[in-house]
Amino acid sequence: MTLSLLLLCVLAALLELDTTYAFQLLLSRPIIAGPIFGCLTGDMAAGVQVGIFAELLFADISPLGGIIPPSGVVACALPIILYAQGIDLYFGFFIGVLAAVLYSFCDALLRKTRFNWLIFLEKRIGRKPTDIKRIIAVALLSSFLMTFVFISVLAWGSSQLMFMVYPYITPKAHFAFRLAYMAVPWMGLAALIPVFRLKTR
Amino acid sequence: MPFWLRLNMFFRSFFLQAGWNYVKYQNLGFALVMMPFLRRLYRNDPEALPTVLNRYLEAFNTHPVMASFCFGAMARLEESIAKTAAVTDYKEQVMEWNGARRGLSITAASIGDRLFWGSIKPLTLLLAIFIWMILGVDFFETQGMAPVSIIYGFTAGAIAFFVYNTIALFVRWQGIKIGYESDESSCFGLTRFDWNRTIYNAKRIGIFFAVGLMLFGVYRFMAGVRVDVNFVARAVLVLFFVLLSFITRRMRIPNVYLYITAVIIFNIVCLF
Repeated sequence: MTLSLLLLCVLAALLELDTTYAFQLLLSRPIIAGPIFGCLTGDMAAGVQVGIFAELLFADISPLGGIIPPSGVVACALPIILYAQGIDLYFGFFIGVLAAVLYSFCDALLRKTRFNWLIFLEKRIGRKPTDIKRIIAVALLSSFLMTFVFISVLAWGSSQLMFMVYPYITPKAHFAFRLAYMAVPWMGLAALIPVFRLKTR
Repeated sequence: MPFWLRLNMFFRSFFLQAGWNYVKYQNLGFALVMMPFLRRLYRNDPEALPTVLNRYLEAFNTHPVMASFCFGAMARLEESIAKTAAVTDYKEQVMEWNGARRGLSITAASIGDRLFWGSIKPLTLLLAIFIWMILGVDFFETQGMAPVSIIYGFTAGAIAFFVYNTIALFVRWQGIKIGYESDESSCFGLTRFDWNRTIYNAKRIGIFFAVGLMLFGVYRFMAGVRVDVNFVARAVLVLFFVLLSFITRRMRIPNVYLYITAVIIFNIVCLF
């Protein structure tokens, strides 16, 4: 992986913080993150397409209660990184979606781990209330590091795997992946219609 | 509430979910947001602060934007607690504070989830897609999409970002003030807005956009295409997925699993 792709991983980890842990300004939503990654790698069209597809695909999952939706940032960053290395977008998107689902499990694990520290942290806050800022900073840093490591390792691993497997992928498999990729916006738009059902009044 | 204190709480509210955990949810963030107010309120009695803070470290979970109403309301009730002299009054006030915290967080979460996650976020997504389509970005094309300029690429996302945050930041900022100035008779300011009407209108606009976009997509799909076997096969496939998406939605199966299943099934079919 080149330095620019590594920087993209850092940016992705920072943007991912916006999803839950800091700001929630929705800078991390795929229609914004996708074009940013596309611009960084020099193919805006790919960034826009992946952004729209990822957001439409995840539009029917909301972060209600303890539900952790698949990460839109991960689903955008991985396909763009792979595409920048010459892997077709429809393969990258599939890997990105799998990684995004996997990321939500890792995030859930991080939140569970945080609970183990909670009693200790509460006692510390009770002793010295001003420590709460430091505790929040550490929580943010741990989330950032986990995301950065997750995206970097997966980006490196999946690109190595794809380079190994790519020559053996048959045209039929290309066709199958492309067909499923083509159906994504239609699935997303169809899922959005029930989202706007008028049942509130 | 002084302006600088409100501003401090407003900035801290962006970190409400920083310490999210599965047992007490946003409790660490809640304590972080309320800290400047509590320090100011108990500046003459700093030894009381850790005890007071323990109440704020209890379970708390609400929508991050609508939480501002809770911050204002909790500040107002905390002032009443700080003013009480008798122990019985104090216990009564704390019980009232606890009830309000629980009730208000649930109500605010319910409104926030329906308004922000259920209406405004998908609506701004459709708005962005609509703008991209007007700008001529043909994202439906999966084989060799035409290049997109940097300005066109960022315009739609920036507009969606601006629209969402204009509403979200307004609610965040005003919520602290309204929550602080109101009492339980108006549900700490929550009844000041007609949330149901806003959600209803947002959903009505949303359904118009969603159906319009699907029709526009179908038009783009059909435009300039010669009707042959390949075209019919693609059209049938799209129709199949649209119908399947409706069905899986009813069964509460997310689209992401539908896509993964589609990839696996297509590969198996293509293999044979």
